[in-house]
Amino acid sequence: MSATITMEPTSTVALPDVDKSLRAEIDASTRLPVVLFYGSAIFWLLVGTGFAMLASFKMNDPAFLDQWGWLTFGRVRPAHLNAVAYGWASSAGIGTSLWLMARLCRTPLRHAKLLVSAAVFWNIGVLLGIYGILAGDGRSIEWLEFPNYASAILFVSFGLIAVWAVVMFRFRQPGHIYVSQWYLLAAIIWFPWLYSTANLLLNFESIQGGAQGAVNWWYGHNALGLWFTPIGLATAYYLIPKVLGRPIHSYYLSILGFWTLAIFYSWNGMHHLIGGPFPAWMVTASVVASMMMFIPVITTAINHHMTVRGNFGALKWSPTLRFTVFGAMCYTLASVQGSLMAIPTLNSVTHFTHYTVGHSHLGLYAFFTMIMYGAMYYILPRVVGWEWPSARLIRWHFWLVAIGIVLMVVVLSIGGILQGLALLDPEITFMATLDYTKPWLFLRSGSGILLTAGHIVFALSFVLLLLKVGSPKVQPTLFASQGEDKPEPLSL
Amino acid sequence: MNFVMYLLLAAGLVVFGGTTVAAFYWAARNGQFRNLEEGSLTIFDLDEPVGTATDAFTDKSGNGPLRRGVPLARNLKEARR
Repeated sequence: MSATITMEPTSTVALPDVDKSLRAEIDASTRLPVVLFYGSAIFWLLVGTGFAMLASFKMNDPAFLDQWGWLTFGRVRPAHLNAVAYGWASSAGIGTSLWLMARLCRTPLRHAKLLVSAAVFWNIGVLLGIYGILAGDGRSIEWLEFPNYASAILFVSFGLIAVWAVVMFRFRQPGHIYVSQWYLLAAIIWFPWLYSTANLLLNFESIQGGAQGAVNWWYGHNALGLWFTPIGLATAYYLIPKVLGRPIHSYYLSILGFWTLAIFYSWNGMHHLIGGPFPAWMVTASVVASMMMFIPVITTAINHHMTVRGNFGALKWSPTLRFTVFGAMCYTLASVQGSLMAIPTLNSVTHFTHYTVGHSHLGLYAFFTMIMYGAMYYILPRVVGWEWPSARLIRWHFWLVAIGIVLMVVVLSIGGILQGLALLDPEITFMATLDYTKPWLFLRSGSGILLTAGHIVFALSFVLLLLKVGSPKVQPTLFASQGEDKPEPLSL
Repeated sequence: MNFVMYLLLAAGLVVFGGTTVAAFYWAARNGQFRNLEEGSLTIFDLDEPVGTATDAFTDKSGNGPLRRGVPLARNLKEARR
């Protein structure tokens, strides 16, 4: 089945040769690996949230649960970071990528067993890593705290997924490569390299002195920019047009955005070392590259905004769109904020304060995590063959996490700026600067409670969907898989 | 840091940097940068064409602007243009 629609009087476009039975087959083929990765992602989200709450409460009351070495701040805080970064965000990102790859290659997913073993390795790696950190085996290198025995296992898993992605791409249906696929391939192929190089240079055979800082932040920033960001943007570039039934506003800009991200992002890491004992030219190059990031960020912002423009009312009707557009807007905010924070004058205030923590949550939560929620709301009914059981739970989830994250970013930003200004004032003692942060950290714990409640609601929704609670609903997301094309019931 | 390690790192740099440059070159030669606006239509197909929304809250079906088969007016106008 193929057809043409007329775009302009002179040119016609061949629509892809996909009918609804093939699309349902593609969706069904991704079921086991996607549900496995999503399930483990949600499990680690809850674990990571628990560590986050512990760490946050310790900010209000440092003596809270400190009688056990396992639960001291120095271990709980990295356990939180790694549980949400590798356990939640990466697993959710991989699950979404698998489904997107199959759809964009227009072919059923191959080698599901390879992906299942990758998921098993992944979970073993994260479990061992978190255990290692809590047991006191962690490395004091941000983003790479996992001990070697855990990171080696994670690398195997990354490697399997990268090989799978190349095989899938090789067997794709011919035709144009959609912008999302560029982003996904880049993320999946670059990340194993980033991860292995940084681990080799820092944990397995350590390089000397100041160069460690360079490798640390080359990795730390690229994990965000060349792993999470491309997956999040790939998802937004697919879901926003797909949900609205409206092509991307300017496809040219989206391609420009991808290649400029590829060129500029990997230079950015050294802006974390402004003012550090470190070659000034490297920092300066990074600050310049941070400014260049305005190009991919503005192109993406224009594109997403102009695609939704005129249809903002649809946010009321589509859970996927609501989460995804929230995430896409926060991508612009987080990126512009990040570039501005690289300006040395502003950096002198915000560096080493809670402002940075707020920025991290704006990026990894308000942008990436919200888009992953949107993706899960779109993908899971299609791969499982069952509608989300309760629209009310979805609304609760959205408002709890949206209000929670906005509150967290706002209070940490205000508290961080006050803290930064106090730190710069020689009249104020260091202990007194901490007093400035107290009320804001208290409010931050409050925002954490909202987020925790949202995560529990979401996990409940997910379990109810897997258990296929309720009567079968034919509307509104399962249009394509009704009747004879309906996928087989889930078997895990 | 031994010699093998440096060699490994240099090889990684060449391979991964090279892949990116090669991908860009291939994309340009393959015509991936031509007819860009038409490329943006590849995610749509006959069953889910331009103008048809594909997601809604489970309790909103049939009532709202995202009803199955009822195109968002604005999108349809653009698709026809």
